Amino acid sequence: MATDQLSLIFGALADPTRREIIARLAEGEATAKELGEPFAISQPAISKHLKVLERAGLISRRRVAQARPTALRLEPLEEADAWIEWSRAVWRGRMERLGTHLKERDG
Amino acid sequence: MADLEISHLYDASPEAVFEAWTDPEQVARWWAPEGLSIPRESVLVDPRVGGRFELTMVDPSGTSYDLRATYVELVVPELIVLRSEPIPEAGIVEATITRATFEAEAGGCRMTITDGPYSDEIRGNAESGWRSLVVNLERLLAEGAGEP
Repeated sequence: MATDQLSLIFGALADPTRREIIARLAEGEATAKELGEPFAISQPAISKHLKVLERAGLISRRRVAQARPTALRLEPLEEADAWIEWSRAVWRGRMERLGTHLKERDG
Repeated sequence: MADLEISHLYDASPEAVFEAWTDPEQVARWWAPEGLSIPRESVLVDPRVGGRFELTMVDPSGTSYDLRATYVELVVPELIVLRSEPIPEAGIVEATITRATFEAEAGGCRMTITDGPYSDEIRGNAESGWRSLVVNLERLLAEGAGEP
């Protein structure tokens, strides 16, 4: 996955409203109207949040008449987690090589 | 996004471990990830606040990746904080803060690294625990609610 995609995911998850939306979608599909109900914000504002989530690849929206049910996609989240694990692996390797180097240096 | 934290106890003094970070000859030996090499002449170390820490990593295909960083803090031999510029060709699209501490412990040196965060937008939400969000979502799905 391109890592600008990962930046989109992190940015999408940075907002508490969007995190609530994701948690709701984990329970099942919902329309934009249903997703907006718990929040004291306008429907256009909800639409903006959904666009951010869609652009990050975290949700898919079916174009069905007016309802447009929205469903959650988890694969991108798992990829984002992999990014951190990759960074951790890079640092682990680096720290091992530092250890080897320090031993060799002291003879 | 929580910062990455990792630590290791080395059988060496804090001074020796700190020096491995600031002597270009030594940096070239251990900084590169597995499979990559660092030409000694590519390493630039100017260990002072505002000074540069730079090197080039070369992969087996000959592709090179430049690390360009600035020292944000430096306390000999206890602390190094580096701010790395993005390396887009290596897929690193954000500036990264790396913090290394070197503490005497059990006759050796405990080196602790924190790295990240990996997105400026997440920085203010480091405590939000989005990892726990993923765990919660997985749990909800395992309970049979919704479709993956």
